[in-house]
This record gives sequence, structure tokens and C-alpha cells, in this order.
Amino acid sequence: MSRSGYVAMLDLGAGVVLVCAVVTLWRRSLAAIIRVLALQGVALGGVALVLGLRQHDGALVVVSFVVVAEKGAAIPAVLMRVVPRGPTSRELSPLVNVPASLVAAGALTLLAFAVSGPVVALVPTATGRLVPLGLATVLIGVLAMAIRKKAVSQIVGLLLVDNGIALVAFLATGGFPLVVELGASLDVLLVVVVLRVLGSEIRSRYGVLDLDELQELHD
Amino acid sequence: MSGAVLVLEVALGAAAAAAGGLAPRNIRVRVAAALTAAACVAAIVVAVDVLGSGHPVAVRTAEILPLTGAGLVLGQLGAVLVSVTAVVAIAVCVYWPGYAHHGLSSRAASCVVPVFVTSMLVVLEAGDTVTFLVAWELMALSSLLLVLVDQDRREETRSAGQWYAVMTHAGAASIVLAMVLVSAHAGGHSFAAIRSQAGHLPGGVRDVALVLALVGFGSKAGVVPLHVWLPKAHPEAPSPVSALMSGAMVNLGIYGILLVGDRLLGGGPSWWWTAVVALGVVSALYGALQASAASDLKRLLAYSTTDNMGLVLVAVGVSGLLADGRHQTLGALAMVAALLLVVNHALFKASLFLSVGSIQAATGTRELDRLGGLVRRMPVTTAVFVVAALAVAALPPLNGFVGEWLLFQSLLHGLEVSGAVVGVVVSVAVAALALTGGLTVVAFVKAIGVGLLGRPRSPGAEAAREVPHGMQIGAGLLAALCMVLGVAPMLVVPYLERAAATVVAGGRSSVLRGGIELELSGLHGVLAPAWTAVGLALVAGVAVGTRDLVRRRPKRRVAEGWACGRELLTPRMQYTAASFAEPLERVFDDVLRPDRDVTVSHVAESRFFVERVAYRSSVGDVVERVAYRPAIRAVRWWGSRARALQNGSVHRYLGYGLVALLVVLVVLA
Repeated sequence: MSRSGYVAMLDLGAGVVLVCAVVTLWRRSLAAIIRVLALQGVALGGVALVLGLRQHDGALVVVSFVVVAEKGAAIPAVLMRVVPRGPTSRELSPLVNVPASLVAAGALTLLAFAVSGPVVALVPTATGRLVPLGLATVLIGVLAMAIRKKAVSQIVGLLLVDNGIALVAFLATGGFPLVVELGASLDVLLVVVVLRVLGSEIRSRYGVLDLDELQELHD
Repeated sequence: MSGAVLVLEVALGAAAAAAGGLAPRNIRVRVAAALTAAACVAAIVVAVDVLGSGHPVAVRTAEILPLTGAGLVLGQLGAVLVSVTAVVAIAVCVYWPGYAHHGLSSRAASCVVPVFVTSMLVVLEAGDTVTFLVAWELMALSSLLLVLVDQDRREETRSAGQWYAVMTHAGAASIVLAMVLVSAHAGGHSFAAIRSQAGHLPGGVRDVALVLALVGFGSKAGVVPLHVWLPKAHPEAPSPVSALMSGAMVNLGIYGILLVGDRLLGGGPSWWWTAVVALGVVSALYGALQASAASDLKRLLAYSTTDNMGLVLVAVGVSGLLADGRHQTLGALAMVAALLLVVNHALFKASLFLSVGSIQAATGTRELDRLGGLVRRMPVTTAVFVVAALAVAALPPLNGFVGEWLLFQSLLHGLEVSGAVVGVVVSVAVAALALTGGLTVVAFVKAIGVGLLGRPRSPGAEAAREVPHGMQIGAGLLAALCMVLGVAPMLVVPYLERAAATVVAGGRSSVLRGGIELELSGLHGVLAPAWTAVGLALVAGVAVGTRDLVRRRPKRRVAEGWACGRELLTPRMQYTAASFAEPLERVFDDVLRPDRDVTVSHVAESRFFVERVAYRSSVGDVVERVAYRPAIRAVRWWGSRARALQNGSVHRYLGYGLVALLVVLVVLA
């Protein structure tokens, strides 16, 4: 793989991760959002694979397969089972409407570029300039959690945050050690499973999976 | 060798805590008490070695605390206070098994008492800020647990625990800030490193550290206006714990002030010492006044603790002022007075709290107006209480007298020193301390007269029986030490002088001379406590002998005393605590602001006939009412406003998180 090809592949992978994050804010259908999330997982795995091949790092290649399997396949599959059929499977009335949230995502991306200077300066290699994309993904994930009402959207927001952190880690440090990555992946999987069970429970008890309805439980 | 004993002491303390937590129910208090006492004996061995040889003992270990390691360095000042703490703790350990079933027998209590005692010892032995702060926090937390342990059914206890928790943690925060500030600027966390850099610290840092230390340690020492927890927590804690808190823990506040002011920063500016004296004078007066108005025996003792710590602070502050003005000899004398006052206070106050614990155990109450007549029912406890109370009142031939004599000597000789600040401060202090002495006598005359003499005022007092021997011995041991130090103060004064010389820079260590007599060399002042004791004994002997001679006259007539024309005398006709304190409350009405309430109820048939008159008078804490209640209300209001932030919406909370994240990013970038 030539150097320019390597850089282009990394640009593409990291770009797809960010674009996927923005798309989750744009789409309303929960099923579509989860498919976008799966694509993001694959792109993240791709970034790790490219880095691993370039640096002849076998562990990183293994990590990339783990990432694709977990974030590209396992987690979306678990989430898909929570999504009900019918009109309730759409994010009908988010707290902030879609155009406004897209504008907010743009603003957050700009902010990410503005503030990640110190981190970029720390990374010696060319991959450092892509770090702001990871940070932007994290911020958009937190935004998604704050403005979406469906429990599934919240989980997706959390996963966006996790993917963003993973992207920054891959780009800035060439990936975590294998053990740490495996541990983190297991954690995330566990969180998703717990949320899935909790989500089903909430729905069976209250008939909805809208977190705003839970506000009455306060006090 | 001493280093090993120091480690042994901590290990024994830990073993005592483990035994208290794990041993079977029927022996756990005994085992924990025995091991704690053994730890205290080890502490005394080290302290005596340090005081005798004059060389500090140091131990370091890297294993116990991460990053910094733990360092113990026992110097002379620490050794004096370690001995006092250990003696008080040994007496408490002797007392504890007898008291246990009155509310200090649970697994938690048996585990935490040794932790409390050991952490107090470690605070005094700490050689660096980290060890000091860890031990300090351990001491604060364990004492808080002991206030609450076994008594969680009473509402007052819970409230007292809250007050104590807030005050002790605010104080600890202040101490942490002071220590961190000083060690950050000195570039090292061991006390020795800080001391060597003290001269190079910026003036502002020194001032802030001094004020923070005064606030933090002052609240532990129960200094007005930070004393509010004391009259709440001391009465509500089980009596052995009160004895430890009042006899040993408050001393650590004084130690902290000396540690930061003198040993770390090498003396402060004169305004700082003036502030110390001012706090001391206010505390002494206010404490004595409240003690003389209190009707709860333990509350009375708690306020008396504030009073005594005030006296110590006056001595400490005057010592600093005099040493600042290059009168090191006088400064050292005042410091000896301060240390002797600390030693004395620990002995008599712990003894008093233990005696009151016995009284409470025997009668079920500590209200003065429900006691009485105990002198016949509990003679040993009464004798111990009277000895300790006379020591508080500073009457010869007891140790309190010697301490106050030294204090007044240093103050009066300080008056001869030129300098406007010293002159004004010292003369105000002398006047205030004279008043304090009088008020203290009033308080303890009331405690003895109403609480112990006369006729029993309640069925509980009527049925009182003498407590088990262990409890008598524990309290009696300390009272006996009060007498020993009162007759032969030279047993400890030379050691106190050496410790004072390590505190007061350049203080000569030969201010005091003499074997039987206590003589101030170079100054005019001689005290012969032993001769005083002999003289008093002669006078008492003559008085008793004369009475017996008088009694032996054959023409003796027995008749009913004058009883307002009534045949029957009832306990309700006696002087009560409230009536005894009433004139004083009137005089100091503006300061005490007593709550008086007279309810007259009439007979149903006619308004001209009164059925009953109820009179209620209670003296609250005016500082609490004026300063703390408004502050608490403000916090409450602020808290209820802040509840608007929390409306139960998950999205809003996540939004807060997002905003906080963005703010952090922007600030950091």
C-alpha cells in the first residue's frame, strides 16, 4: 500500500465514522439509525485494519476484526430486536428538530476542530490531524443522547460516544493494547444487553419506550 | 529501639480494632480495651524516651500510603501530648468494660474506639503532611461514628452527629488547604522540609495558611465561634467517648495551631498572635458563662472545655507575642503554662466526663435538677467528681491551680514588657481571665451542690447505686493524677519546659527552677504547692478536730430545721440549678439571652384562683442563633432553589453533561 493510498484510506474511514454520526441525527427511523451505526462500526474497524497493516501490528489487525464483529454486527443485531414494528419505531418528535440538530452537529464539529489543537500537537504521525473527527463524533453522540426521546436512540448516542473515543485512540496511539480493547468491547456489549433488557422491561410495563414518560416517576 | 516500639504501638492499635470487630460478644470489649491500653503503654514508652533523651524518634515506610509513604516523627511537643492522650485513653480503657452495657458494647463500637485512640496518637506522631491529614481524617470519622454508635434512636443524637460532621469536615477542609498551600510553596511534604523553607514563603501564603489553620484547628479545639458542635456532640456521645473527645481530641486542635504557627512557619506576625489571644479570651469568657448557666451536666462540662481551651489559647498567643518581641524567656514561660494547662485539662476533664458517665449509668439522667443526694449513695464517684471539679475551678492543692498560677505569672510579667500591643492585649486578657475564673467556680459549685449534695430529686437518683470497680478506678486514676500534679508539678514541668523550648524559637529552657518549690528564675515568683497542700491539710485537720470537740459537748438538742412553718421538707424545696444560675443569667442577660416562659393556668370556676404556674427557662447558644441559624436558612433556601435544576428529565441531565463537556473543552483549549 503506497503512502498516499494509506492516507486516503484513513481519511475515508475516519470521514465515514463522522458522517455516520451526523446521519444518525438526520434519520428518524430507528431501524435506519441502527443500520448507520453498523456501517460506522465497519468503518471504525476499517481504520484499525489499515493502521494495523501499515504498522505491521498483528494485534491491531485482530482488534480490527473484533471491532467489526462487535460494532458492525453483534450490537446492531441486539438493538434491532428491541425496535418494535410500526409507527412507534420512528423518532417522531425529538426535543430539537432535525434541521436544528444538524446545524448543532456542524457547530460541534467546528468546535472539535477548534479545541483539539493540543491533542493533535501530541501525536507525532500524520494520523493526528484526523483526531478532531473522533472528538466531533463524541460530541455528536452526547448531543444525540440529550435530544432524542427513544431509549434506543439514547443507546445509539452512547455507542457513538464509544466509537468516537475508539477512533481517537486508534489515531492518536495506534490503538489500545489488545486486552484493553477486548475489555472495553465486552463492557459496551454488556451495557447494550442491559439496556436492551431494561428497554423491554420499560416497554412491557409502561407501554412506551419514550424516556420522557418516565419523568412522572421523579420524586 | 524506640522506632520499633512506635510501630508496635500502631500495630497494637490495629490489632485492638480487629479484635473489637471479630472477637465473640462476651469478651470483645475487654480484649479491645486491653489491646488499646497496651498500645497506649507503648506510646508512653516512646514518649518518655523522647522526652528523656531529647532526640526525636522517626520511622518511615513506603508501603502504607501510596505515592508518598507514611512517616512518623515524634518530637518533644508531640511526646508531651502523646503521653497525655495515652494516659487518658488508658483510664478510659479501664472504665470502658464496666460502662459497656450502657451503650458502648456493639461490634462497631469495640472496633472504632481503638481506631479513634490510635489515630489520635498517629496525628501527634506524624512527620509529614500526608500522614498527618490521613490520621486526622481517620480521627474525625471514627469520632463521628462513636458519637452516633449505639444511640441512633434519639433525635438529638442524630442532630448532634450532623452538626459534628459538618463542623469537623469544614475544619478538615480548611486544614487540608492550609497544609497543601504550605507544602506546595515549600516544595516538600515532610514537616522538616517545610520548616527549612519557611523563611522563603511569600507573606501572603503565610497569612492565608495561618488563618486557615486557625479556623480548622480552632473548630476542633472548640473555640468560639466555631464551638457549636461541642455542646451538642459531647453530651450525646457515650461518656467514655466524651472523655476521649474532650480530654484528648480537643488538645489536637491546640497542637495543630502550634504545629502550623510555630513549628512549620516559625512564628507568625503579631496580628496573628493577637487574634489567637482574642479568640482565647472570647472562648474562655463565653464558655465559662454558658457553663454556669447550663443545667445538663455534660453540656456544662462541654462548655467548660471551650473555656479551658480559651485559656490555653491565651497562653499560646501571649507566648507568641512575647517571643516575637524578643522576650523569649517570658515566651517560653507562657508556653510552659499553655502545655501545663493542656495536661491539666486532659486529666480533670476526662475524669469529670467519666464520673458523669457513672452518674448517668446509676441514675439514668444527667439533668442537674433530677440528681442530688449522690454523696451518700455513690461516695467514691462523688469524691472523684469533687476532686476533678476543684481542679477545674483552679483551687489548691490541685493541678489546675498550678497551671493558672503559671499563666497569670507569665501574663503579669508580660505587663512589664514595653510595647503598646502587648500591654493592651495582656491587660485585657488578665481582666477577662479573672472573670472567667470566678464564673468557672460558680459553674462547678452548682454542679457539686445541686448535682451531688442535698436530697435526691428524682426516683432515679433515689435508687442510685455505686458503679462497678472498673469505672471507679478509671475515673479515680485521673483524679489521683490531678492531685499528684497539684502537689508535685515539678514531676512534669521540666519536660514541658524542654518541649516549650522546641516551640518557642530561642526560648531558654531554665525559666523554672526548684524541687519542691516552683521558682521563676530571674523573675519574682515562687510557688510551693507541696507546702500549700500541707498547710491546707493542717487547716482542714484543725477544723475537723474543732468540730469534733464542739460535737462532744453533752448538751446537744435535736430539733426540726426551720421550714417555713411546715413540718415536712421535700426535695422540691431545694435550690435548683436554674435558680442557682438565675442571678447570673440576669446579669449577663444580653449575652446569654435566656428563653423564659411563665404559663399560669386558672381553676375552671374562677379566674382569681390559680391552679398551677409553670416556669420554663432555657439558655440556648447565642452564637448558634445569631450566626449559624441564618446561615443554615440561607443554605436551605439556596438548596430549594437549586432543586429547579433537577426536574426528572433524563434529557435535561444529559444536556447538562453536554454543556459541561463543551465548557471544559473550551476552557482547556
